[in-house]
Amino acid sequence: MFCYQCEQTYRSDHANGCATSRGVCGKDAQTADLQDLLIHELKGIACYAKRARELGSVDNTVGGFLLYGLFTTLTNVNFNAARFTALLQEAATLRERTQQRCTAAAQQQGVAVGPLAAPAHFVPASELGQLLQQAPQAAITVGLQEVGEDVVGLRALILYGLKGVAAYAHHARMLGQESDEVYAGVEATLALLAAEPTDADQLLEEALALGRLNLKVMELLDAGNTGSFGAPQPTQVRLTPVIGKAILVSGHDLADLAALLEQTAGMGINIYTHGEMLPAHSYPELHKYPHLVGNYGGAWQDQQQEFAAFPGPILMTSNCIIEPQPRYRQRIFTTGPVGWPGVRHLENHNFSPLIQAAQALPGFTTVPEQEEQITIGFGRSAVLGVADSVIEAVKAGAIRHFFLVGGCDGAAPGRNYYTDFVRQTPQDTVVLTLGCNKYRFNREPLGSIGEIPRLLDMGQCNDSYSAIKVATALAEAFECDLNELPLSLVVSWFEQKAAAVLLTLLALGIRNIRLGPSLPAFITPTVLERLTAAFGLRPITSAEADLAAALGRSAA
Amino acid sequence: MTAAVASMAAKQHEITLLTRDGQRRPILCGEEENLLAAATRQGLTLPSLCREGSCGACHARALEGEYQLGPHSTSALSAEARERGEILLCRTAPRGPLTIVVEQDLAAMEAPAPTERSAEIVALERLTDDTVRLELQLSATAEGSGIQFEPGQYVTLTLPAGGVTRAYSIANTANWEGRLEFLIRRQPNGRFAHWLASAQLGEPLQVCGPNGSFVLDEASLSPRWFVAGGTGLAPILSMLRWMGELQAPQPARLYFGVNDESQLFAMEVLRDLQLQLPQLQLEICLWRPQGEWQGFVGTPLAALERDLPEALARGEQPDLYLCGPPALVTGVEQLATSLGLAERLRSERFLPN
Ligand SMILES: Cc1cc2nc3c(=O)[nH]c(=O)nc-3n(C[C@H](O)[C@H](O)[C@H](O)COP(=O)(O)OP(=O)(O)OC[C@H]3O[C@@H](n4cnc5c(N)ncnc54)[C@H](O)[C@@H]3O)c2cc1C
Ligand code: SF4
Ligand code: SF4
Ligand code: FES
Repeated sequence: MFCYQCEQTYRSDHANGCATSRGVCGKDAQTADLQDLLIHELKGIACYAKRARELGSVDNTVGGFLLYGLFTTLTNVNFNAARFTALLQEAATLRERTQQRCTAAAQQQGVAVGPLAAPAHFVPASELGQLLQQAPQAAITVGLQEVGEDVVGLRALILYGLKGVAAYAHHARMLGQESDEVYAGVEATLALLAAEPTDADQLLEEALALGRLNLKVMELLDAGNTGSFGAPQPTQVRLTPVIGKAILVSGHDLADLAALLEQTAGMGINIYTHGEMLPAHSYPELHKYPHLVGNYGGAWQDQQQEFAAFPGPILMTSNCIIEPQPRYRQRIFTTGPVGWPGVRHLENHNFSPLIQAAQALPGFTTVPEQEEQITIGFGRSAVLGVADSVIEAVKAGAIRHFFLVGGCDGAAPGRNYYTDFVRQTPQDTVVLTLGCNKYRFNREPLGSIGEIPRLLDMGQCNDSYSAIKVATALAEAFECDLNELPLSLVVSWFEQKAAAVLLTLLALGIRNIRLGPSLPAFITPTVLERLTAAFGLRPITSAEADLAAALGRSAA
Repeated sequence: MTAAVASMAAKQHEITLLTRDGQRRPILCGEEENLLAAATRQGLTLPSLCREGSCGACHARALEGEYQLGPHSTSALSAEARERGEILLCRTAPRGPLTIVVEQDLAAMEAPAPTERSAEIVALERLTDDTVRLELQLSATAEGSGIQFEPGQYVTLTLPAGGVTRAYSIANTANWEGRLEFLIRRQPNGRFAHWLASAQLGEPLQVCGPNGSFVLDEASLSPRWFVAGGTGLAPILSMLRWMGELQAPQPARLYFGVNDESQLFAMEVLRDLQLQLPQLQLEICLWRPQGEWQGFVGTPLAALERDLPEALARGEQPDLYLCGPPALVTGVEQLATSLGLAERLRSERFLPN
């Protein structure tokens, strides 16, 4: 196996990447190789789907499969090798079907299908041992000797960014939001990678194009979320449990949560959000369920302790799952793209086994005396709703600067930076946040500036879309460029969705983003130099120095 | 005792436990102590029953280092196994730093110790002359009504009068109702067997568990070959039922051996299971059939001697799961070792305890 797609990848002085029998995340070599092969097959499908689309034959269920397949290979999503052998077979069938459709369309038009890249002709072996022997041709490092690590790294940037795009697009699809443009874009990106491009300039351009596609996808997801559940509103969320039976829901998929809330209505079971599901409370159509009682626990890397202590079953709807411990292995369930070998998987919103588990488990029998709450739900409509007072506050000098501190959380010790950073932001500044990185500081008493809270939780990582909308509106109000706003972005990344969002921000021309806790292993020094030259992208240093730099003064 | 002597007596050696999932867990162990006790003291749960070298539950292998092995039964650890560096943790005291290969995953070792619960008999069914199906209903605890375990694990049952505690593998799968199902062979003159002969519905028992590391290698995609002798079917039935619940895709076949037709049981259950797990192949092995038996004649070991080399020649490397009387287990272990499949074999022995 070789994998360097996430922030916690194995790093040493001479080499980066998880390359032994087991990745840092727990993904075993077999699963990693099968994932590479799946990507290879998806590229092959995309070659035909793209060509067929050009010839006027469109089938977006193919795109749906591409999204789902890509999503399963994100960090901390699916560790079940058996799931991948099944997906490889499905992919082979779909490739054949798409090839036939493409050929038929070409014949009809009297043209040739044309030469397609190697993955279009790849046939997976039916036997596991042989299949694994095919894996090297599908590795992310293919051609390293010939093209060098910059080009391989740029291809990786595009592939990983695309995985993030696919995850968001899949969530949007689950809420009925799809678009030809997005499917065409996903197909084109995969087909591009299939051709193993070698020109670094072209690759950088394509990466930015993918960033623009991701903006479109986040817009779709936003439409899905707000269309289905209403515009997020500032909402108090209880962080302490209440007495009674309990189910914990983690991950990003609001459609799964909605279905579960409906199925458990009036049953005396309380539903808690975990991790990236926290923003659910701010959507009126989810908040209306009285049994959606609160949020439990923090970011994903603490789940082993937290899930062990949770007195009910747990549902994982997307990343981030890590190895379920024996204490809760029998009461954790996966759904959608998520999987772990030997863990029960629920499909098609059939949550009855989960509900049965909740009834059999004790739930909370004691709760802390002191109830704790936080306020969330500062999506674009809430913030833009008070845009006048925000603009007023900026003009009057009451708000000097905005910081967007957000992204993923993780276990690396260096992530304390984000807590330090937020704690040290001056009283006349406002912190916007999104993603699960917020758990590092969302209980900090930052206070408010007039009516405006100093810490505004905008939602999930995909709600970067909201942040972009707000920034754009402010720029319009101040009649300035995005980069002239008193706004600094301090981004924390962990996995591939963050890569997608980063590409979007760069594609929008946003400069001087600080990225941490460490830079992606696939971004080589040369590529970093180019990104720094073009966008001022740079790694975080220390909270003090970065704050000072952002506020335009030297560190004390 | 001088301070020097005292510190020598208390000398703690550094022991590295190499777990099945490839992780290293260091513990300290004195020369006066055994490895099992030391691990327990340091918060690890390793399988054990007798703690006196007779059940084999605490089986492990010393990779390097000096140690002393105390008295133990040869059915728990044969002389050959001993030669190969295999040990019983409850009987092993270090004489220097040691590296020990254990058969558990680290996470399972760090799991909470098994708990004690009361239960009552809700079904007791005679399957053959000497085999019964026992079903227990556990009482609810503060942890809830369900029972959670991994397929293949066992619990110990203690008779109401106390004194007699025996290990039995669970034949059903984890569930939220708190039901446990067992397949028990009544050992002639056995104390548990004796009680069972006159047990009534509603009678209470104490249940302690789950325990044991005879569990599926869930991450493996290899075909799964199960070998059961007599009531050795119990843990394997649990595994197969779990595969059915999960709709596991691995090819599966079961070699189930008994002496003759009169000792066959659970056939209906197995055929129902095939509906859920269509890939399951059944090979019923009768050692000495009395009637006109169409199936395999001989022990499961003989059937494996026929089929395993063929499978290997086809390039198939099955995972082997094996449970039953010690003779069967030993025989299949030897066969698997000679075919280079020792690493792929997991087994449970129904030893007297
Ligand atoms: C991990 C584990 C799981 C087990 N699971 C099962 C199970 O699912 N089903 C099941 O039927 N049994 C199982 N056993 C065996 C069971 O624990 C008892 O040993 C068995 O039922 C005999 O108990 P008893 O009290 O009736 O006999 P005892 O009073 O203990 O013994 C009576 C006499 O029989 C001899 N004896 C006892 N057991 C055996 C044996 N297995 N082979 C040869 N001689 C023996 C004894 O040495 C003694 O002389 C398991 C054992 C272990 C260690
Ligand atoms: S996802 Fe991350 S931790 Fe897991 S194998 Fe890949 S780089 Fe390593
Ligand atoms: S923000 Fe990133 S790290 Fe956090 S839960 Fe979402 S995907 Fe995982
Ligand atoms: S616990 Fe060691 S042999 Fe029984």
